[in-house]
Amino acid sequence: SLPAGSWVPSVTPQDILYRGILRRKPGRPAGDSCTSQPLPVLPTQLSHFFVDHPEDAFGSLGKLLHQNFYLGDSKLRVSVHSGLPPCSGCPRKNLVPRLRWFSHLARDWLFEVPLGLLADCVHEDLLLQWASLLFDDSPTGGALAWLPPKDVGARTGRLVYPGGQAMNHLCILPHGVALRRGGGGREGVPWVAGTSWDTAVSRVALCPLPDFVGVRSDYHCGVWRVPGRTGAAPTPLQVIRTSVPASCLTVSPHLPGELAVCTQSGAVYLWSVETGLQRLRHDPQTMFFRDHSPWRWSDFTAHPRVLSCADRTGLQCLDTRVSPGGCHFDLFKVGEEAGCQQGERVVLPMYLGRAYPSQHLVTTQFSVYVLDERLPLVPVLKWAHMMKAPPLFAHLTPGGPGRSHKVLLGASRTQELLLLQYRGEKRGALGVLWGRVSSVPTSQPPCCRDRLPPPPLGLGSEEEEEEEEQTFYLSNLEVIIDEEEEDGGTPVVPEEAECPQEPSANPQPSPAAALRYRRWLKAFSKVCGQPPRHTRPPTFGQKRLFTRKELEEPSAPSALQGQARRWLRQAMRDGGCLQRWDPPPSALPEPPEPAEDPDPLSARLTASWCGDWDGWWEGRMSSSLAQRQRALRERRRRQKRARGRRSLSASFTSSLTYQSELSELSDPDTAPPPRREASPPLGTSPPAAATPPSPEEALLSSQSLRSRGIPKERRKTLRDYLAVWADGPPEPPELPGSQASQLCIPSSQSQLSSASQPRRKRPRMGF
Amino acid sequence: CKKGKWPLSSPVLRREKFFIFVFSGSCLAFVYGMVCLYVCMQIFSTVGSQKSKEVCLSYIQDAMLRKQWKRAAEFLTFYIESLEKDFSTEYMGPSEVIWRIGAEILCHRFHNNMKEFSSFIEQMKTLGVKRYLKVSVCLEHAFHLLCNGQIDEAYQNLSLAESWRFGEQTAIQDKEMKLIQAYRGLLDYYSWSKQKNILLEHDLSVEQEMHGCFRKAAMNLKEIIKIPGVWDLFVKCYVDLLEFYGDYSEAREVLNEYAYNSKFPANPNAHVYLYQFLKRHGESKKSLLSALKILHDIVPSHELMIDFHIMLQKSKKRKKRRLGLEVIFAVLDYAGWKENVKAWSCLARQVKQIKHLDWIKQEWDPRRDWWPAFHFSRYSAKRNWQENESLSYEKALVAGILLGKGCKAQVKRFRILKKFLNKHNPVYLRLSGLSDSSVQP
Repeated sequence: SLPAGSWVPSVTPQDILYRGILRRKPGRPAGDSCTSQPLPVLPTQLSHFFVDHPEDAFGSLGKLLHQNFYLGDSKLRVSVHSGLPPCSGCPRKNLVPRLRWFSHLARDWLFEVPLGLLADCVHEDLLLQWASLLFDDSPTGGALAWLPPKDVGARTGRLVYPGGQAMNHLCILPHGVALRRGGGGREGVPWVAGTSWDTAVSRVALCPLPDFVGVRSDYHCGVWRVPGRTGAAPTPLQVIRTSVPASCLTVSPHLPGELAVCTQSGAVYLWSVETGLQRLRHDPQTMFFRDHSPWRWSDFTAHPRVLSCADRTGLQCLDTRVSPGGCHFDLFKVGEEAGCQQGERVVLPMYLGRAYPSQHLVTTQFSVYVLDERLPLVPVLKWAHMMKAPPLFAHLTPGGPGRSHKVLLGASRTQELLLLQYRGEKRGALGVLWGRVSSVPTSQPPCCRDRLPPPPLGLGSEEEEEEEEQTFYLSNLEVIIDEEEEDGGTPVVPEEAECPQEPSANPQPSPAAALRYRRWLKAFSKVCGQPPRHTRPPTFGQKRLFTRKELEEPSAPSALQGQARRWLRQAMRDGGCLQRWDPPPSALPEPPEPAEDPDPLSARLTASWCGDWDGWWEGRMSSSLAQRQRALRERRRRQKRARGRRSLSASFTSSLTYQSELSELSDPDTAPPPRREASPPLGTSPPAAATPPSPEEALLSSQSLRSRGIPKERRKTLRDYLAVWADGPPEPPELPGSQASQLCIPSSQSQLSSASQPRRKRPRMGF
Repeated sequence: CKKGKWPLSSPVLRREKFFIFVFSGSCLAFVYGMVCLYVCMQIFSTVGSQKSKEVCLSYIQDAMLRKQWKRAAEFLTFYIESLEKDFSTEYMGPSEVIWRIGAEILCHRFHNNMKEFSSFIEQMKTLGVKRYLKVSVCLEHAFHLLCNGQIDEAYQNLSLAESWRFGEQTAIQDKEMKLIQAYRGLLDYYSWSKQKNILLEHDLSVEQEMHGCFRKAAMNLKEIIKIPGVWDLFVKCYVDLLEFYGDYSEAREVLNEYAYNSKFPANPNAHVYLYQFLKRHGESKKSLLSALKILHDIVPSHELMIDFHIMLQKSKKRKKRRLGLEVIFAVLDYAGWKENVKAWSCLARQVKQIKHLDWIKQEWDPRRDWWPAFHFSRYSAKRNWQENESLSYEKALVAGILLGKGCKAQVKRFRILKKFLNKHNPVYLRLSGLSDSSVQP
């Protein structure tokens, strides 16, 4: 069981998708979700599986193996992500910590379920969840029902709804005073039926007059009989179990104890409490054209022995008196005849017997149709409802003679409500409906205005003598009751007097929401053990431009501030700018000053741009030569000092490069490597033969030549050739003496270090 | 800050300056933010125009829910402007949304001011000439004008719409044109019937004009009736026109075609009109019965079934009387007839005649399992007794005969009913005796 006050959070798009954006093509039907493929985060989901179900993923192998592993002595600190708090009865609690750690370490390579299979399953589940995220048809019809009082005028009506943390109890709330105000006072403790269901109750249907209540969860359907007396316990009559999830349960308005049950396998049953189940049809295919949705629905018609049977493609009427599949006629077909749009699908059919005995309401995601079963296939009335989400709940309030009938439509996810009224006249042959349907703007219920996170699960309405209507909503958390004033035809409102001239920027929360909030805050502070300090409600926002501190008004604006403000205002009026904060008057950005010592490349480029490349080259040669010689001498001196300190053995540690160098050196004809690349920069032939001392000079060393695949003989030729090219200045005087000794200091690092530079330079001719 | 004015050495003023600096900084940030916002809006206007339109629509909806019509109108203007940049290809085009919202706003804000409405219509015409709009705007406007008693304007409007052409003529457009023409014919029929009333007051001067109306109306109505569909209104008017000028054969042909052509939807009204026509012209009982028989097959719960039953009972043929019993039982199967006194009295009379008990038994057998719960429950007995005593008598009689002792539970409380039942008890005894005897061999 879960702790009080919490509910299992429903899946959000963020859980499934990379982007977390629920995209629905505007024209697509609600049920047709497989066409818009989600982009699931499969690795994340798989890792969730490993974390959430380690014992399933590698339990037994881990049990065998973890004894043989040393996992260290420190305590296990692994944060296990879970939406559920640890509780008794949780299988993870009994898991050996060592095993848990082991599974965390080994889950990447040790698992019992083959990864491909597991990924397939996860993917399938993701698709299902995605489909239900796009359009969840399980609450179709609604799980809230209003039992009207038996005696007219007596306030003994009751509200039947699923309750409990997992919505698996049937609660019956008597009509009480505490219920009427404030939206959700639960002082009258609801009676909880003894049986709790395995899964959440997704539909409560009832027959108003003999008080039969049908309850459907995924795999169970049950009938209760609710006596008229207040406080008397309802008696469960029968429960059936289905092997396939049931998608529909309706209670007959004609005969007590008769229900219609549909399962997702396409079977339609007439369920009588006395005689049991009678199968009327079993057809996994849809009726008129192919549609993938397994959703089926069934309702009663004007004839108690004829049932209507619906899937996403239309409605048929089945006669129960003849053998299965024997006698039926089409009542509604999605298609040309009814003027349907492309992709339109039936969402909720309803029998409007209380208004007209032969009429049915069919809602699709685009329109509302009223059908007469005497004139099938041609809708008597069609009205585009323009709701964002398909209406899953509908409630009929029949009007008396001379009054219009009202149909209240509700959507689940978007929490919309729409009240339609229509009126028919019995003239001539059939009751001809007026074309006048008007959508009365209903006041939104508090849950709509304040956006409670869980979508509502049901919709009910109580009709009373006067023109007052009470609407009930059922969300996961509580029953919300909204009293709304509904004036008959077209409300004529002196709009100028009522509405503010400008849209109010900060709409006040409704009193009901405030009350609920206060209760929540009270409960919250009780849990936290400290009184609420803020009088202002704390706001939790994600997207804010400024922090609260920035927005906070200063205590009292000083004179200086006032002056500054005046200036600002003045400047804004004039359209000018404030002089006082002008930057220093520098009209044009000055060109960047020429750097004192430009880098050689830019200098070279500048020179070549000016056409003075030759001159630059000459100057460069002369200046760098002296520098270079100086540096070389300095380095030699340092090396000499270092060699004196080094042990002899180090000189024998050789590397491959060292050996190759040696072999090269042993060659008496070894030509010095070229100093620079074959062609001078910029493509112009340099007048001077000497190469500039660029850092890339080692490129043509024997090593790099060999690495380029140039054979040894040709290497020599190349070097000779380049030596001719590089007819440079004379060698530094002290060069030859230290040659051999210098080569005795190889090390693997030295090739990369600066110390290797003089060694490579050494064979170069021209210095 | 100007240095001369605020000596910067003062610490207080330095703080002030700092504050002003911050202030100006936030101003700059604000300006920068606005620039960013503008850029973003520009981007969104191209990329996310759909989104912004949705937001705009939700604002309109909100304003309408709060009955702030002026605000809603402002948002609607903005919405239309945003649409001008965007050409949507959705079926449910935004023009329909605009049309409905605009009509709603106008209806509330200007209290059905016709002038405002007409100018809005004109704008709608130029805004979008979509398939849907053409019919809906034109016809709805005409209905609106009619509701306000401006019949001539409505007529003008419809004839104007006929000349409204766009694009290529498709079959659908052709049909819609015929629909508009048919409604115009209906208005012609209206003026014709007005003149007919004048004519009937012996003012013969209108005859010529009336005949002109007749020709126009008949031409337009005849066209639409040829297309398969449900045209009850047009058919009735057309038949009325024909009947007035004595063209019975044409009228009969039209009605027969409307009722029996298989291309038309199975429309019970067609048979009703045919039956009424036949009855008006004193046709033979046989043809009347055959018309009603078809109606019975289509809609067993029709009001005319009582007439049918009575006619059948008057017949001398056994077969027809048998059918009459079937008809009345079938009528009472339907929930709409549950409390109809006439139907129950018909059945009671049938049951009381002790002639054909085996027929009754045959009809009763398939209903044995559900009629008691449907008709003769304790709850309904109580309610019927409270609401309609005569209904109770009839039902109790039928129940007493059909159910026998079982029904006594239903009527236990009502002494008068009990007496009444006892008076008619022999019938039950005979019925039950018959059923017993039929079971035994």
